[in-house]
Amino acid sequence: MDSEWLASMSTCVQCLGCETACPSGVPFEELISRTRAVMSSNRRPPLRIRLGLRLLGRPRLPRWGVSVLAVAQRLHLVPRTGLLPARLPLGGRHRRSAPGGDLLVFTGCVMDACQPEIHDAVEDVLVAGGRSVERTGAAVGCCGALHAHAGLHEEAVARAGMVIAALPGDRPILVDSAGCGAALKRYGGLLGTPAAAAFSARVFDVHEWLAANMEVLPEPSGRSAEPVVVQDPCHLRHAQGVHGAVRDVVGPYATLVELDDEGLCCGAGGAFQMMEPELATEVRGRKLAAIGRAFERSGARTVISANPGCAMYLEAAGLEVRHPMQVVAEALEDRLGR
Amino acid sequence: MSDLVAALDPERVQVGDVARRLYSRDASVLRGGRAGVICFPVTTAEVSACVVAAVAHGRDFVVRGAGTGLAGGAVPCDEPVMIVLTRMDRILEVDESRRLAWVEPGVVNLDLSRHLGGTGLHFAPDPSSQQSCTIGGNVANNSGGPHCLLYGVTSAHVLAVEVVLPDGEVVVLGNEEGDSVGYDLRGAFVGGEGTLGIATRICVRLTEDPPEVATLLLDFMSVGAAAETVSAIIAAGMIPAALEMMDQRVVEAVEPFVNAGYPTDAAAVLIVELDGQPAGVADEIMRIGELASTHGARSVRVAADEGERERIWKGRKSAFGAIAVIKPDYYLNDTVIPRTKLAEVVERIYEIVEEQDLIVMNVFHAGDGNLHPLLLFDAREEGVMERVLAAGEEIVRVSVAAGGVLSGEHGIGLEKKRFMSLQFSPADLEVQSRLRAAFDPDGRANPAKVLPSGASCGHVTSLGRLPEGTWV
Repeated sequence: MDSEWLASMSTCVQCLGCETACPSGVPFEELISRTRAVMSSNRRPPLRIRLGLRLLGRPRLPRWGVSVLAVAQRLHLVPRTGLLPARLPLGGRHRRSAPGGDLLVFTGCVMDACQPEIHDAVEDVLVAGGRSVERTGAAVGCCGALHAHAGLHEEAVARAGMVIAALPGDRPILVDSAGCGAALKRYGGLLGTPAAAAFSARVFDVHEWLAANMEVLPEPSGRSAEPVVVQDPCHLRHAQGVHGAVRDVVGPYATLVELDDEGLCCGAGGAFQMMEPELATEVRGRKLAAIGRAFERSGARTVISANPGCAMYLEAAGLEVRHPMQVVAEALEDRLGR
Repeated sequence: MSDLVAALDPERVQVGDVARRLYSRDASVLRGGRAGVICFPVTTAEVSACVVAAVAHGRDFVVRGAGTGLAGGAVPCDEPVMIVLTRMDRILEVDESRRLAWVEPGVVNLDLSRHLGGTGLHFAPDPSSQQSCTIGGNVANNSGGPHCLLYGVTSAHVLAVEVVLPDGEVVVLGNEEGDSVGYDLRGAFVGGEGTLGIATRICVRLTEDPPEVATLLLDFMSVGAAAETVSAIIAAGMIPAALEMMDQRVVEAVEPFVNAGYPTDAAAVLIVELDGQPAGVADEIMRIGELASTHGARSVRVAADEGERERIWKGRKSAFGAIAVIKPDYYLNDTVIPRTKLAEVVERIYEIVEEQDLIVMNVFHAGDGNLHPLLLFDAREEGVMERVLAAGEEIVRVSVAAGGVLSGEHGIGLEKKRFMSLQFSPADLEVQSRLRAAFDPDGRANPAKVLPSGASCGHVTSLGRLPEGTWV
């Protein structure tokens, strides 16, 4: 493993577009994951990244850290990057949900701390559809997706074991972050145990679940006037293959505008934007150009993205990005006259 | 090396072992030598500087696009300077009213048509590799594609090219109007496979989208019946926009990937695309349906919508990529035969392959008689290469003997140069070599390719087992 070889392997953003494109079905994710694991055991990722990922793995710590950062942001002490939303919540805005709903909503770590409003939107939509919801909350914490992506295999396995143990039973687990959903669905392969496989079988992207259960959603009263551009996160389109569900679910409530880039990656790639900032920016440049064309064509000014990593990375480039479920929740809010 | 670094920048000049191995291959199984220095210029001036530096230091240079070539045209021989144009990927200008565009050579074929979405125009040449191959490579190989049956191959869609000649001088051949004043040097350059210079800007003709398109899927219980239907369609005076054949093995390999609803139990399917005015298209659908039934078609399906059309085409264009489902390696022969002999020659190909105990997949541009038999194998098997080469050679001989030609659209490269004398007399070859010398008197531009003389490097016969531990 010389530096040239390492550079070739570490500059892959792992968008998995190659898997979607390959008519022979070469299991690239499996190959690159194993390669990355070997690489990181020989040469650890930078300390700041390992530390950051370790903090995410600690339940409750992300919420506390985000409150501190939110204060710092308001004092203009934090530079604007693609790693955090432009305006973090100060804390104390987390809804509590009673245990025992029909459905579990997986809240994760970064989203749980930074973007509780997205989980609120998911809950509102499901409740409007007559379902009861329990959030997994800060105690369950991180799914380990970023660890696996960075090649930290052991940490990823440890996180998977903890998440599975924390969520027994057979209730469906709905996920509103494409990256986390893809990771939870891979637990079966990662741990190779029947219990992990059974856990993964309970996991659905929230749009995927809603698309299969559309009858629970209230009739739209009419589409929202403003069109929105649909950005497909790689972990929804290539890893899970359920990007069509976003269209099925949001379509009745808003006018959707498609990009012309066949699901090109936005460049965020989990920790990739930190490890390879120049390359990530170049990839994002192409995505921004495609979004620019779609804006021009349609007059849309907003992008919807079902993955917080993509959303924050695009926001950092000055775009207005919303989660698809926020658009649906808002449409339902109007309808319910709240 | 220092001249190259000075001309470009260190980031864009590579000499590492991984890079040299990667850039020693194209998409074929052909082996030549090893890449020397690999350069990634981004301007015409930089390309010229690379050429000047190579020649000044007594090195050959080889130009390369996306590396999707199937005849070894971009495979290096004697540690040449590799000039890779994938970073020259800008669409410089689109003139909708004059239906032309200036592009850099590294623009991916499909990206141009995608960029033109909404203008009612597209770039007609559509090789099956169009989502990865570059327009520079299309120019070098005078590439075809399914729709070239009606619209013509790349040369018909190139109005002008800016070329860095093998001495570093920059000239423009042809012009935006497409008029040829004096000798048509543009015409001579297109299909030059990198032996006449390097295209650095290309002025392409854009084609208007047809008002109506219909895609038909016909299936047959024998390859012969499908081939006869092809001849009958052409004989009836119809020229479809595209007319493709896939045999059962291809259909079985791609159907799980595309879910186009191909009949996997049919011996062969034909994809027929018709375009033009709605009334004309409707009439041709009817006539082709009748012809197909008379020739034993089991069913004729007309794609109901754009989605179905896309899936049918995606299956056809994914055929090569799906091969790894069956075997890890393939050797593809690209010959052209008279359409009237399709049934007979295709039948003979199945026999040849049977004799060598190999597997063949037939997927090809039936409408213009351009065959693409794919011989599938696992290079790790002892002695398999000899059988593959023997079968390949016999297919070329049978095709030429049937009145066909060596290559339809993939070029001669390293692969077919030893067969050039099957088709050309010594006098023909001499004239071609004088044309080449007029552009490149010192023989620095992609030497040892295309013409059989002066060979110093990798023939197809040098194909061998992969060395232990090779993974690239």
